[in-house]
Amino acid sequence: MKSISIKTKVLVALSICLLLGVAGTMALMRYSFEQNARTLAVQSLNEAQKLFGILTAREVSKMTAVEATLEADSMLQKHFLSKNRDELLDFCKPIYGSLKAQGITNWVFHTVEPEVTVLLRVHNPTMYGDHLDRFLTKEVVRTHGMVAGKELARAGFAVRTLAPLTDSTGKVIGYVELGEELGQFIHAMNAQTGDNYGLLLNKKYMDRKLWAESSAAWGRRDNWDDHPAYVVIDKTGQSERIIDFDGDFGAIPDTGKVLERYRDGAAMYVRGVFPIRDAAGTVVGAMFVVRDISNFYWSMRKTQTVLVVLTVTALALSTLLVLAILRKLVFRRLDGIIAVATRVVGGDYQTEIRLTSDDEIGQFEKLFEQFRRVFVDVLSNVPELQERR
Amino acid sequence: MSQVYDMRLRIEEKIKADGLNVLETKGKLALKTGKMLALITPTTPDDPDLVSKLRDAAKEVLNLSL
Repeated sequence: MKSISIKTKVLVALSICLLLGVAGTMALMRYSFEQNARTLAVQSLNEAQKLFGILTAREVSKMTAVEATLEADSMLQKHFLSKNRDELLDFCKPIYGSLKAQGITNWVFHTVEPEVTVLLRVHNPTMYGDHLDRFLTKEVVRTHGMVAGKELARAGFAVRTLAPLTDSTGKVIGYVELGEELGQFIHAMNAQTGDNYGLLLNKKYMDRKLWAESSAAWGRRDNWDDHPAYVVIDKTGQSERIIDFDGDFGAIPDTGKVLERYRDGAAMYVRGVFPIRDAAGTVVGAMFVVRDISNFYWSMRKTQTVLVVLTVTALALSTLLVLAILRKLVFRRLDGIIAVATRVVGGDYQTEIRLTSDDEIGQFEKLFEQFRRVFVDVLSNVPELQERR
Repeated sequence: MSQVYDMRLRIEEKIKADGLNVLETKGKLALKTGKMLALITPTTPDDPDLVSKLRDAAKEVLNLSL
């Protein structure tokens, strides 16, 4: 029979406990990190959505105030009613310079119904005369009141406000539209939160030719062919990973979706996305949010290392302690019994087994001492041993 | 004199010559052979099993070839 000492068995058992302890600690830390990383991703999504809403509301408020001022400008009404595009443009140019500095990128005058065509695009004067069949345009015509919302034009996506222009009698003589490209929002969001953002729009709501023209007008690279299904309106950060997506924008829940956690060199990021709806409620694109959780990740790794070292140290010390206790309480006393037993059969009938305690081993010592006495008594009657005794 | 008794004597001589603890060494040999050396007398029969065990025990405990 193969002999494995109790010491070895105890050592193996404690080593298994040590391994399980380390593995458990690491798994627990990993689980905790995954949960916290997800929470951070959800938090970054919620913050981005909230901030996006606040920025939108703020810009709408600003453009509403500007439109109210413009509506009250009698010179503007006069130039608009003259339908002289060049005069209107000359009047608007200096104002547009100030508005542009405030982030207002689009300024459009529409004629009154029934035509409702573009009289002048102050931001792009060479394009005019077209009718914009858009939700907000229809709404301002229908209500003859101020309307606002995010709307995807065929060349881009902007927060827009449309308000009727009225003459001195209060009669609607046309409409004025102001807009801010949403792409610039993400830079403001990036400056506030430190997170990176990417804004993508679905190509099926856009016009290839207009996108090329607007790209030229705004001095940006025409990136239409970068992806078959969507166009990157803008993004912060250099990494293309921010906007890596092959799904359907419409399938993203309104509350947003955590996509994944990924590592780039020593940095760790979490990424999420939420849909962007236009004023009519249609999902026309999505905003991607990337948060750098490197500090949190490396802090977790440091804590994990400390916990593993502590666990190993604690279990190693426990192992040594258990072995020392076993040696003192069990092994050393068993060795004593064996030594006495060996001497008895060697002819030593005097040495007694000393009782050291009343525990389990002590009871065994007591039993063995009784056995020894019986044995010695038996031996005393063996004739061959009489001479020695 | 039996062979086993002769072996006993040679073992006792070896223990004495090596200056070993007599009782402890004889105890070890008894535990290995299953028989106390003191019970081996000149009239003890030469049981082959006992002879074999005694030879192995002497070799292992005393490094003595019998």
